[in-house]
Amino acid sequence: MRILKQTFLLLRKDLLLETRRRESLLTMFFFGTLLLFVFHFSFDLTPERVAEMAPALLWLAFLFTGTLGLAQLFEAERSNHCLDALLLSPMDRGALFLAKVCFNITLMVLVEIVVIPLFWILFNLRSWELIPLLFLMALLGTIGFCVLGTLLSAVTLKARARELLLPLILFPLMVPVILATIRCMESVLRAGAIGDAAPWLRLLIGFDVIFLTLGVLIFDWVIDV
Amino acid sequence: MQLAARHLSKAYGYFWALRDVNLNIAAGECVALLGPNGAGKTTLLKLLAGLIYPTSGEIQINGTALSRTSTTLRSTIGFLAPGEHLYDTLTVRENLDFFTALYDKNIEGSAIASTLNAVGLQRWSGAYVAALSSGMKFRLSIAKWQLLEPGLLLLDEPYGVLDGSGIDLLENFLQAQCRKGSVVVIASHHISRVMQLCDRALILHQGKLTFDEPRQQPWDSFHRAFSEFLPRGPS
Repeated sequence: MRILKQTFLLLRKDLLLETRRRESLLTMFFFGTLLLFVFHFSFDLTPERVAEMAPALLWLAFLFTGTLGLAQLFEAERSNHCLDALLLSPMDRGALFLAKVCFNITLMVLVEIVVIPLFWILFNLRSWELIPLLFLMALLGTIGFCVLGTLLSAVTLKARARELLLPLILFPLMVPVILATIRCMESVLRAGAIGDAAPWLRLLIGFDVIFLTLGVLIFDWVIDV
Repeated sequence: MQLAARHLSKAYGYFWALRDVNLNIAAGECVALLGPNGAGKTTLLKLLAGLIYPTSGEIQINGTALSRTSTTLRSTIGFLAPGEHLYDTLTVRENLDFFTALYDKNIEGSAIASTLNAVGLQRWSGAYVAALSSGMKFRLSIAKWQLLEPGLLLLDEPYGVLDGSGIDLLENFLQAQCRKGSVVVIASHHISRVMQLCDRALILHQGKLTFDEPRQQPWDSFHRAFSEFLPRGPS
């Protein structure tokens, strides 16, 4: 219970800082919608063809916007050596990991709430009833992205050129999550259900659970690298 | 609160910032940590705070080794450095609320207000920390540690940003902490100032502890030891 209380305290602090600075969220919104417009003007696709490509295009947008968020994830802690203040405190360091994961998920979900319907509008898709299930698949992928991204963001915290280094390490390790999420979203768009993508869904849930647990357990060492 | 360091060494790559430091500090002692730039003072403070880990050796607080998992011990350690460890985009009051909650201290709002009043920041409780001067930020850090009451308080060059009343405030706080049995370690270049306050002086030179004497000892030995490290003017 103590770890949850500390996680909530740290998350509340991060959300408060973000509402004041509005750096990460505004940048992510702007970049996400900009990518959709680029896709819209670059590809001249029929609605049927777009439905096939939608998961990959959406995930491309989520990956890039999410990476922007990850690059800013520890910025508040970098100034005034606030990370030292947190590490000095009796806080469970797993709580810091959980709070940063939840914060990043919150930002990405807010972006997805805007980006997914905007994608439907821009590409004139009619299957609006599939959006809730599609959003659920995107959420599972987002959790995997944020969990692994937070761990690697902490690993590269003290590295030079960390903004360049982070995607270089993150993207190859994200391949299972990206593949599984795209397959699940494809299945939802094609059949209106998970159907034959069930093994991919299990892989996605497994990835989320394993890396979330691993992150809480090893974050103490990761943050000291 | 008792503090001990046994054969403490710290290397950054091939560079040894600290070599085989042994220390015993009793409850209520106020210790000055002196030495030229690059002597290893900040490294020693960070090791004692548990912010970095020794390459070899051990730190014990009340007989218990300080390690990654010592969350209970960490709640007793305070670190005061000018302009550090405060969130710029939180207000003065929000910073104090956040850190007291993080340390699981159930402190009433009136106690926080009276502490802010004591450090002269009551009028600024709703101001963002970014809007404060360096001296005011340091006063806020003093307020923070007054509320958190650490058993071990480490200070890194505290005199640079404070005005006269701020120095009085700091020294009164440190003396009160020592009276309560806390250990205070101050790394500073303001030798005369810090030696008026402290019971004991440690001198670090090139990562080695070269001097460890109580203040009651003849001052000649202290001056002799320290004068080796004072910068010499042109002859």
